[in-house]
Amino acid sequence: MKTVVLQAQGLQKKYGQKLVVKGFDLTICEGDFIGLLGPNGAGKTTIIKTLTGLSKPDGGHITYHGKDFFSHSRSAKKTIGVVPQHNNLDRDLTAYENLYLHSILQGVPKKLRRGKVEEALEFAGLSDYRNQQVKTFSGGMKRRLVIVRALLHQPKILFMDEPTVGLDPQIRRSLWDLIIKVNQSRKTAILLTTHYISEAEKLCSRVKIIDAGSIIAEDTPDHLKKDMGKYVLEVFQEDHIDRLFFPTKEMAYHKMKEIPHEAKIREVTLEDVFIKLTGRTIDA
Amino acid sequence: MLNGFSGVLYRELHVFSKKIKRQILASSLSPFLFLIAFGWGFGKDVTINGLPYISFLIPGLIAMSTLNQCYGISQEINISRFYFHTFDEFLIAPISPVEIVIGEAFYGVFKGTISMGLIFLYAYLFQVKLLFNPIFIPAVFLHMILFALLGVTMAMIVHDHGNQANLNTFVITPMIFLCGTFFPVDKLPGFFKVIVHSLPLTYSTKIIRASLTGGSVDLTHLWIILGFSVLFFFTALWALKRVEA
Repeated sequence: MKTVVLQAQGLQKKYGQKLVVKGFDLTICEGDFIGLLGPNGAGKTTIIKTLTGLSKPDGGHITYHGKDFFSHSRSAKKTIGVVPQHNNLDRDLTAYENLYLHSILQGVPKKLRRGKVEEALEFAGLSDYRNQQVKTFSGGMKRRLVIVRALLHQPKILFMDEPTVGLDPQIRRSLWDLIIKVNQSRKTAILLTTHYISEAEKLCSRVKIIDAGSIIAEDTPDHLKKDMGKYVLEVFQEDHIDRLFFPTKEMAYHKMKEIPHEAKIREVTLEDVFIKLTGRTIDA
Repeated sequence: MLNGFSGVLYRELHVFSKKIKRQILASSLSPFLFLIAFGWGFGKDVTINGLPYISFLIPGLIAMSTLNQCYGISQEINISRFYFHTFDEFLIAPISPVEIVIGEAFYGVFKGTISMGLIFLYAYLFQVKLLFNPIFIPAVFLHMILFALLGVTMAMIVHDHGNQANLNTFVITPMIFLCGTFFPVDKLPGFFKVIVHSLPLTYSTKIIRASLTGGSVDLTHLWIILGFSVLFFFTALWALKRVEA
């Protein structure tokens, strides 16, 4: 049986009078890779901030290894690593100094710090840039540095808030490889927020789809898709696209023959699941 | 133990070291201009309480310049909170808020000490005679820590950069001009006298000046600035806890 690292129950967060997280539940075990999928403004970043101590919840409970987060925050914070949506590296410091600072703050024993920092630089492929100020780094290099910084103290759970947002597809894929390596080789549990459907499909073993602060579906990406049907028939109407779901390609093909409009058959994606559940695309 | 304190200082001092020339230039310019304008230009033949005005001015400039540097950390914290989000690293780390507050306050004291050194250098260059009383050391230390702690408090209370600028305009600048840095507060009308005597700079300027000009040192002033330091330590801690979960 896997160890439960984090449990959140009935989490609520208000901004002013507006409830932006409405009773969010989450259980993460060792080695889990959970994705929070939702459009911009769905409450994903707020959930991450609340779970990591950057924002106080207005309701609900959070426990790390069974202990209440707020009454044992120092021990709980030792078990978490955070990759924020926006790079929060010190741009005036070098890559080495950024990592060394993190090692001090996380309580890595002094004699181990240098080794841990070197190991992290190596893992990120940034050893040759160790003494270069971060402000000279490209977006991809900064992102890799943020990820290895979050891992330096060997957290049990890693929170990644839109880790690949704004990066070009090639760099995004290289970061995916790094993230998969972290999850598989170190058994670090990961909670990843994204509004890239392909990212959630490629990386996550379970996905929670959230919209307007509430979970509207959760399962493995395969099950979520299977529940819709394996194939989708897209019917191109004049001003919109209708999507019809079928368990087999033959059934979809049979239906397509009856339709007078232009139509296309393809396999169901998580995006179809999202559109079906919310009635809109994830970028809307 | 003390990872928070040493981490905060490591960060602040390393960032400072990358901008050391700019920082020193910035903290040296304004007291130099005050010395030229008020010391040479205006105060050459003026005496206050039996002191040449330039001798009266130097301790005031020490109080003003160290205040600016120590309180100025609020601006830096503000930028790291709202713009670069680097302050979040402290908030999510397993460190105590007390260590963050003390670490930042000591960084303020470090910056203040540099600006104080520059003014002593000016005093030497302008051939200003100072009569050093050892009480100056605890007095200036408490003065610096007090305003650094006030800076931490303000940086945690404000919600954006604009808020911070307003505080500087409406609180810090009037305090600097009215609390005895450039003239004795006894010369102020009654209403202003009441106001300035409720502000810590009045007492720290008085004791700093007395301990550098051979005046009689009133130890009550030391206790008052110690009291303000304790008060601002708790306000800084309270304000930090508000932003940290």
